[in-house]
Formats: sequence, C-alpha cells, structure tokens
Amino acid sequence: MSGVLLAGVTKRFGDALIVDRLSLDIAAGEFVVFLGPSGCGKSTLLRMIAGLESVDEGEILIDGRRVDHLPPGARGVAMVFQHYALYPHMTIRKNLSFGLRNMGVPADEIDRRIDAATKSLEIEALLDRRPGQLSGGQRQRAAIARAIVKQPALFLFDEPLSNLDAALRGRTRIELAQLHQQLRTTMIFVTHDQVEAMTLADRIVVINDRRIEQIGTPMEIYRRPATQFVASFVGTPKINLLPVTVDRSGAAAQVRLGDGTVLETAVSSVSLPGEADMTLGLRPERIRIAPLERGDTRGEARVVERLGERTLVHVRLADGAMLVAEDRGDSDVQAGQAVGLAMEGACAHLFARDGTAYHGVSA
Amino acid sequence: MSALRRPPPLAVVAVVALAVLMLVPMLWVLILSFKDNTALLADTASAFVPPYTFANYRNIMGEGQVFTWLMNSVIVSLAMTAGVLIVSSLAGYGFARLEFPGRKILFVVVLFGLAIPEQAVIIGRHQIFSALSMHNSYTALVVPGLSMPFGVFLMTQYFRAIPVEIDEAAMLDGASRFRIFWRILLPLTIPAQATLGIFTFFQAWNDYWWPLISATDGQMYTLTVGIAATQVNFAQAEGLGFLMAQAVFAGLPTLIVYLIFQKYIVRAVAGAAGQ
Amino acid sequence: MAMGDATLRSRLSQSAPWRRWSGLLFVAPYLLLFAAMLILPLIIGLRLSTTRSDLFGVKAEVGLENYARLFSDPVFLKAVGNTFYFVALTVPALTIIGLALALVLNNASRWSAVLRAVFFASTVLSVTVVTLIWRLVLIPDGGLAAVIARLFGQAPIAFLSDPVLAMPAIALTTIWWGIGLPMVLFLAALQQVPRDLYEAAALDNASRPRILFSITLPAIRRTIALVVIIEIILQFQLFGQAQLMTGGGPNNSTRPVVLFIYEAGWKQWQLGYAAAAAQVLFAMIAIAAMAQYYVSSRKEPA
Repeated sequence: MSGVLLAGVTKRFGDALIVDRLSLDIAAGEFVVFLGPSGCGKSTLLRMIAGLESVDEGEILIDGRRVDHLPPGARGVAMVFQHYALYPHMTIRKNLSFGLRNMGVPADEIDRRIDAATKSLEIEALLDRRPGQLSGGQRQRAAIARAIVKQPALFLFDEPLSNLDAALRGRTRIELAQLHQQLRTTMIFVTHDQVEAMTLADRIVVINDRRIEQIGTPMEIYRRPATQFVASFVGTPKINLLPVTVDRSGAAAQVRLGDGTVLETAVSSVSLPGEADMTLGLRPERIRIAPLERGDTRGEARVVERLGERTLVHVRLADGAMLVAEDRGDSDVQAGQAVGLAMEGACAHLFARDGTAYHGVSA
Repeated sequence: MSALRRPPPLAVVAVVALAVLMLVPMLWVLILSFKDNTALLADTASAFVPPYTFANYRNIMGEGQVFTWLMNSVIVSLAMTAGVLIVSSLAGYGFARLEFPGRKILFVVVLFGLAIPEQAVIIGRHQIFSALSMHNSYTALVVPGLSMPFGVFLMTQYFRAIPVEIDEAAMLDGASRFRIFWRILLPLTIPAQATLGIFTFFQAWNDYWWPLISATDGQMYTLTVGIAATQVNFAQAEGLGFLMAQAVFAGLPTLIVYLIFQKYIVRAVAGAAGQ
Repeated sequence: MAMGDATLRSRLSQSAPWRRWSGLLFVAPYLLLFAAMLILPLIIGLRLSTTRSDLFGVKAEVGLENYARLFSDPVFLKAVGNTFYFVALTVPALTIIGLALALVLNNASRWSAVLRAVFFASTVLSVTVVTLIWRLVLIPDGGLAAVIARLFGQAPIAFLSDPVLAMPAIALTTIWWGIGLPMVLFLAALQQVPRDLYEAAALDNASRPRILFSITLPAIRRTIALVVIIEIILQFQLFGQAQLMTGGGPNNSTRPVVLFIYEAGWKQWQLGYAAAAAQVLFAMIAIAAMAQYYVSSRKEPA
C-alpha cells in the first residue's frame, strides 16, 4: 500500500504556476526528501500535503484515503516547522497535549504518549518550561516530540534543521534517521541541503522550477543524475562542468576539451543527440592529481584546499577553464605548481543543451 | 562614554526646577483641601499654617453626588475598556489573519477613521442618540467610544507580528479557527491588550465633551463632568477647600493608577500618538 | 513578519475556501460601530451643515449659507485667530521643552526615572481637574500666584480676566498638562539612536553641542516633525481649558473654534451652523493629519 500518493497536483497563486501537474507515489514507511533550491515549489508541495495550501488540480491520498479536501487537522499528519512554531505561552507539556486534546485523546493516554516521546528525546526535564526558556536544539526536540505524540500516519518536516548550528544539525540528522528506523512511519522532509537529503532519504525527489527533475535513491541521484541541474545541485564540491566537442565515430563517445585534451567516455555514441557541442560532467573525485607526464592533461594549481583526509586542488587548464581535482590528504601540491590530471573518462556524464544527462553503462 | 551621556549640571538644575514647578500646583491644591473653608475665605495664605482638617473629605463622603459620579465613571470606563478590547481583538484578528471579500479596502477605510476628530462627528452622534431618546444612559456614554479605530489598528499590527507558522501548527493540531484565536493567538496579545486597555480606560475616564452634552442629568454625570459642574459655581456655596478636596478626589485615582501602570501607560500614549 | 498579503491570503484562506465569508464575522462588530458611530455621524454632520437646524430638527435647506455666514462672523473669525494664536503659544514650547527634558532625562539613573514620572503625571489628569488646579493658582482672589505676588509686595494680577494675559495663562496650563507626551515621544526616539554613533563621536573628540546638533538632532528629526504635527492637531482642538477657565472671555479673547462649535450647538441650538464650523475645523485638522501621515510613512534616512 502506498503511504502518500500525489496525482497531477497543481497549484497556482494568481497567474503564477507554483506546482505543475506533479505526480508521486511514496511507499508506506518510506523516508522521502524533497530537495531543491529555494522557490522551487518544494515547500508549497509539502504544505499542500499538510492541508495548509489548497490543491487547485489533482488528488492527494494518504494511506489510500483521499485528503485534499480535508482540513489540516483531519489528515492524520504531523509537521515540524522551520521555526518550530511552538506555542510561546504554553509549557512544553501543554504544547504536546494541545493537539491530542483537540483529537479527543483520553487524558491518561495523553500522559502516556508524552512520557514515551519526551523520554526517547531526552526532554522530560523540560516539560514544565516554556519555549522561550529553551535552547534552539531543545525547541527542535520539543517540536519533534509534538509531532510524535500524535502518532500520525505521515510526518512532514519543513527545513527543520536550517536554524541549528552545524554541530547540532549533524547530530539531529542522525537522530532523525534513528527515529525513522524506530517508528517506520512515512516521512517527507523538505530541504535545500543536499547533505541532509543524501544522508536521510530512502528516496530523493529533486525539484526545480516547479517540476520534478528526478526521483531516485541518493546514490542513483548522485551517480546517474537525470539532468545537468541535478548533477550540479547534488555533490560537494560541485561537479566539474566543461564545454566539449563530441566525436561519435566510435561505439563510445570521445570528447575534446577546450585545451585539446581528448577523453574516452563510456557513453554510447548512438544514444547521444546530434549536438556537436555538449557539456562534460566529471566529479572532482574522478579527477586525480597525477605526475606531470602521466596525466591526461595538465594545468596550474591555483588554490589548494586541505581538508585533512583529502585535498581539493583548483586547477586552471591551458585554455583558462577551471576545474576541481582531488588528491590525497597529505598532498604536497602547492599553489602555482604545474600538475598533471588523470581523468576517469568512464565515469563522465554528458549533458545536452536542454540539460538531459547521458551516462556511461558502468557509471 | 558615560561622561558624555551625563547631562551638564546647569541643565540638571533647570530640569529639577521645572519639576518643582510641575508639582507646586498639585501640592497647593492638596494643602488647600485640608483647610477649613471659612479660614480660606479670609485668606488662602493661611493654607501654609495649621490647623488642618479632614472636614472637606468628610463632606465629600457625606455628599452622595460625588460618589454617584465616581461610580458612573468606573462603570463607563470599565465598560468601554472591555468593549474596546473585545471588538478590537476580534477585528484585529480578522484583518490580520482572515480573508474575506473587501478585507483590504475595509482596513484602509478604518485607518482613515484615525484622522477623523471628535468635533467632526460629535454633532451627528448627539443627533443619533437624541433620535433614539437614549441620552443620559450608560449606553450613550459608552458606545461612541467603541468606534475608536486606534484599537483595531493596534491589534491588527500585533496579530500580524505573530508568525503564521503558529496558526498553522494549531491547524495541524486540529484546532478550529475560533479555538486558534481563543487559545493560541489571543493569549499572545496580552501585552497589547494591557496597553490598549489602559489607554482606553484613561481616555474614557478623562473624556469631557461627549459626557458633557450627553449626560445632562446630574445623576448621570461622570466624575470629570461633575467636577466641571461644581467649578461653574466656583468658590461659592461649598467653599474652596471643599472644591479642592473634590479635585484631589477626582485626580488621585488616575495618579495612583498611573504610578502602578506607568510603563504601560507611557507606552500606550506614545504608541497612540506615534501611529 | 515579512509576509506579503498574497502569501498570507493563500496560506490561510485558500485552505478553507468554504469559509470565505466567515472572516467577516470577526470584523463585523467593529465595522457596525465604525459605521454607526463614526461614518454616520460624519454624514449627518455634513448634511446638517447645509441646513438651518435646531433641537427639534431641520428648519430649512440653506446650501452653503452657513459657511458664508461663518466667514463673515467676527466671533468665528476671532475664534479661528485665537486657535492659531493658542497653537503658536503652545506647540513650540511643548516641542522644545519636551525635547530638552528628554535629552536631560534619557538615562537609566533612578532620579531620571522619578523626574520622568513627575513630568508625565499631569498628563493623566482630566481636563476638569487640571483647570480646577490652575484656577486655584491663577485667581487674583487668594490664588497661589496672588499669594506669592503679595509676598513680594505686588498687587495680584487677574490673569484670567485680562484680555492680553488670559490666553497665555491657558497656554501655560496646557503646557503643564501636556508636556508628558512630547517628552515620552522624544525619549522613545532617543532610545533608537544607535550607541555606536556616540562612541564614534567620542573618539572624534566631538564637543557636547556638536554631538547634539550633528548627531542627536539629525537622528530624531522625523520624530521632531511628528511631535510638531501631533501637537498641532491636539492643540487645534482646545476646548475644556478655555470653557472652564475663561468661558471664552474676556471679550472673546480666549474663545477657540471648538468652544465656538459647542456654544453654537448646545447653547444657541444652531446645530446647522455649529456643524458647518465643525467641518471647517475638520478640514484644518485633516490637512495636519495628512502631513502627519506623510512624515510617518516616510522612512527615516539612516
């Protein structure tokens, strides 16, 4: 049975189309992340599922029940908001029980649920405080607890980690993953942070400009991005994109970089469109620093970023194009030095002018 | 830094002198109120020397009318305050949070109402209550004050400042629209309610022109109008000391309330003027 | 909350299209009062101003005759002149004294707090108490001023029955009554002046007057304009002080427009004539109110 089904969902604000005939099937118990830049429509989509936005066209089903005409409180969903949206004048206990009272849950059951949720989130000691007396991280947990006690069919998260500092964000991410494993409830999580998406999701839905660019597991998204947008949006450091001319004479396409370097890809020539000029996508970890004479090409190291376990080298090629290559953590490359570059052509992606991606068979 | 913030000594002296000038008239009235009327009639300078007496205050207690006026003022001021709070909160919530046909234009019209002075409407109001034969009633004293646009303006601003996420969380918690208003948003506006409430109370308590023309029956006078009425036959029948005791009696409650709620009152008055 | 109207609308209402009209229920009580107690009286007043009316109703339609009569009525013209004179006496004084008090008392010391309370206290009194207090100060027959004058061997001055001194006496009473408002408005504005401006000025060795004139006053100039306009609007509406202290006399020298309206309406029962005078005053105030809106809606330059 499907957890959430979206069928041709459309949203307009006046003349502006915010979400355009979007369809999506989310399995029960799945953790799905909507990933995209701000303004892409991902939050609107989440809010439509929650019932905070009306649906202009299409249908939304939760656990097989059509909900798009129901008010938010009747949909069996719980939401964690970006700014937590705890009720400032109520204690945490009241915050947690407010929704349950509205649902008519008996008092002893309310207490039981609050006990269980706050114990697992380690915030029992805060129950009689008000949100204003809590730290950002504690508020976050209280907001999550408020969602948990409702025992919803579906959890919705609207960029809930964006207001936490880096360390807390990392920790909360792990806790959310654990929470999902423990509850096995369907969860939808909206973020613009690809690291959150990669680490949390069973499946990522990449949304850009009101449309779904790609739906897939994190590794599918990373390794076989459906479009140039997805390739460049996912992955840190960003994928290298270089203009190339394509030679389709062989079974696998050969590309020529701006500096004259010829690289053998694994992309089937016949699959490619007729364009002579395409964009080559090669992730930094597929370009290694090599001895000068043994590389596929060479360039000048301009900036060297030492991250400890690896080193990122920003290299300028002979034609002035910039790319990022990787080297070992103990790399001895210095800025200004000439370096060789070994490119794994087999892992290269080609992007047509309309953004469509073409991958090698093995990639 | 702190040296720069400290005002020059000469300025401090001048301000202290002004403060004394502020207090002298009040103190003058206060001591007169403790003097015997016949002694004052001979020479008010006698106020500076004993004997002093509580007779004037005893006479106020004995004089039923002043108490009636006091009660009228209390009833009218409390009723107007409660009414303004209720009506403004509802309207503020509606304008800030709800959508209905004409919402924007209606709010602009209400804002324009802020610019209408009492003088432009008082004749019309008087005509309306005359036509309804409702002068000399609490209704007539209270209802016109409820149309004050300032409260709606203030509450709308305040509701707007509450993040919409809070409403949405409550919607997801299954709360009805009225429950969201009553249980979630209204408690969050308590500081604004306090400001508006105190402002309205003072406005009502000190209102002069409208009660002067609407409450023409001595039994329906507010304290403010009553004090005015006794001033007309100034220094006659009852004597200066008695008159001054009335002034103290009428002024002291507001001064005490002011000292208690000073912060709110200053904020309310500054807010009302600054909009 | 930086949320556009369009967003708000979509967020809250489109989710509940079946409640399109229910929002009106929340604003309906106020709108009814607004219509009945503000708009309707305004219209009645406008209409009355074109009639000859008394206590018992409209006697005749006279068009603009009331207005024409007003502008040839020496008492009304005198009242307009008195009103402007009163504004000229009070507004500059209230603004300058209020600003000076705010500048001196804008600090966290305990004594400043006490003095601020003293200067604001009179504001909470009703006009009838204020006039009662000041009559007892100003009357020649045993008033405080007379007692003091006698102490110095001077003859007591009859402030309120002297055509030259009566209006300044009313102005003094009004300044005493109303000084709290400009003071707190200026205090609020001074709190908003960024501290680092003063710190930078201190590092630049700026003198005290220089700081006042090149930092403090420019930083609060919008508030200065606002205070002037607010006070003009307030003092245009002078009524109670004149009515209770002098009754407009001696010889109409202290009769302001509002007192003229009151007497035309409720002493002579010429309601149409009073209504016309009220419209003239409304127009005068409306001009000032528009200026207030213009100033307050403009952004303070950084």
